[in-house]
Amino acid sequence: MSRTLPLDAPLFISGRFLENLSEAFANLYAQGRRSALALLGILIGAASIVAMLNVGHIAQQESLKLFANMGVDILRAQALPTGSEAGGFDQRTLENLSKTDPDILAATPLSIGRVNAFSASREANASIVAMSPALHALARLQIEEGRALTPFDDCSPVAVIGAELAETLSNGGGALGPGALISIGGYGFTVIGRTAPIMMGTLEPVDYNKSVMIPLACSRRVLAGDEPNTALFTMRSGADFPAVGARITAALEDPRLRIQIVDARAILETMNAHKAVHNRMLAAVGGISLLVGGIGVMNVMLMSVMERRREIGVRAAIGATPRDIRLLFLIEAAALALVGGLIGSAFGVVASYVIAATSGWTFSLALSLLPIGPAAASLVGLVFGVYPALIASRLDPIEALRAE
Amino acid sequence: MLGNYAGLYTLLQLSNINKTYGSAARPVRALRGVSLSVAKGEFGAILGPSGSGKSTLLNIIGLLEQPDRGQLHFEGVDVGTASLEKRAHLRNRLVGFVFQSFQLLPRLTAWQNVALPLLYRGTPRRERRAPAMAMLERVGLVDRADHLPNALSGGQRQRVALARALIGAPQLVLADEPTGSLDSVTAREAMDLLRSLNRRLGVTMLIVTHDRALADCCDRRIEILDGRIVSDTGSAAGTRRS
Repeated sequence: MSRTLPLDAPLFISGRFLENLSEAFANLYAQGRRSALALLGILIGAASIVAMLNVGHIAQQESLKLFANMGVDILRAQALPTGSEAGGFDQRTLENLSKTDPDILAATPLSIGRVNAFSASREANASIVAMSPALHALARLQIEEGRALTPFDDCSPVAVIGAELAETLSNGGGALGPGALISIGGYGFTVIGRTAPIMMGTLEPVDYNKSVMIPLACSRRVLAGDEPNTALFTMRSGADFPAVGARITAALEDPRLRIQIVDARAILETMNAHKAVHNRMLAAVGGISLLVGGIGVMNVMLMSVMERRREIGVRAAIGATPRDIRLLFLIEAAALALVGGLIGSAFGVVASYVIAATSGWTFSLALSLLPIGPAAASLVGLVFGVYPALIASRLDPIEALRAE
Repeated sequence: MLGNYAGLYTLLQLSNINKTYGSAARPVRALRGVSLSVAKGEFGAILGPSGSGKSTLLNIIGLLEQPDRGQLHFEGVDVGTASLEKRAHLRNRLVGFVFQSFQLLPRLTAWQNVALPLLYRGTPRRERRAPAMAMLERVGLVDRADHLPNALSGGQRQRVALARALIGAPQLVLADEPTGSLDSVTAREAMDLLRSLNRRLGVTMLIVTHDRALADCCDRRIEILDGRIVSDTGSAAGTRRS
């Protein structure tokens, strides 16, 4: 009589979880079509979430690409004449601004106009950019053949030609290169270099590919005046952009001009705001679908509990604790949702691919964001599986065994 | 009629067990002061018509249900008031159930069904197959180990259920109308098997039935009517005859 009963039998959990999981998948398979229907909601939910995240990621990459050349710490000022009198910024004021304003690291002046350019045999309407040599570095203009403009070119009639324009003006025997002569407004310019093709960013004042670039000094030969009509300000990255914009406007004030300030960060913010609207929509769709899917999971699990009352009774009779029963059904609900989440994520990736393709964006996959779809789905399964699991664990084993 | 089993190893001791169902206004008294002592190794029958309270008695002995009043001692330990969780652990270790309709899980193979009690004992999956196969061998079904229940005959299913009841080396096997779903030949075989396992393993067996002929095959017959034990024949010592 001294033998003691195993009243305090320890709870064995280890390994049982995985076992429950494999059993859960077997049960899901056995439930077939009904599981599939419940999966649909979860699937759409996970798909929208993954699509949202990945499209967001792709859009982010795309928008960054728009600022890839000059970065986002750039502010552009443009002088628009108010009357018939041409005018531009005072170069000394620009230089002073970069020296006195701590938020402005550099000011790069340039002048832009439209001209007709002639080569030996062709004519093209082109942009002309009268620029300081510093723009080469700022706008990342790479020279493909020949050389860049330098301070020594000062007032010389030399030009660097954009890749596309060089093609347009060529005589069929390859792009125009160094040594070629082009004529603009009656002046002859010697081509000293040709730029590599460059993507046009958001803040670029002109498409360099279709432009002729000449020294800023003596630009009066072909443009309305010597004064630059555009300036690019390189900003300190923590600067208050609107405030600096206002200071620049004030410094450059001129009755002949209306000054327009464009700031990269503001553009980025607008783009982000648009993206946020889309994201909110997708998040709403995803959330509602997951909710509906969760209710579907609950429904399937409740039916499953009702149908498997005898099984629950048997398990209870042979020693399953209420906790074991709860775990069994919880894991099944989570597994059901997880399957939906995995399939949905695959659909989400495909959807983001289609969205990227139709928007002309380069598709890329945010691998770090992918697990969020299945994880959210499993979480929904767990949450909505609690109620059926509780019902199952509270069944009276005797009643359950009697069930048909 | 309660025998005095002094000197014998008492497995189970019920004293003045009462159980009432239904509402306070219309109570159904299923058990009215049942006292009973079962010795280790007994092969007994609990006999009674439907509604007599025998199933309630089985459920209380099997720790599936708690009595309203009275005490239940298993090997001298009071288990009548144990918590749900504790009773589940005790069922797993002390009691093996054989149900009338076998109650095998349809999606598990024969050996997996047999091994199920070991799952709730925490035995790792790898270590469950061998004992399950050994137990199937004992009931002569080792060649059907990988069959699903619906590929087995009634008698075979009953033997799988019996193997499941025995795999945990319980102190007590409770069989509820074990031959109720079998034809007479298979029923006889099942009873012979129960009897031989009782002898070979020394496991106590209590068979609940309404069938007097079946009860007559057992050493001890406890007859119950209207929630009371009305007769208790065949002594515990009888189990030691052979």
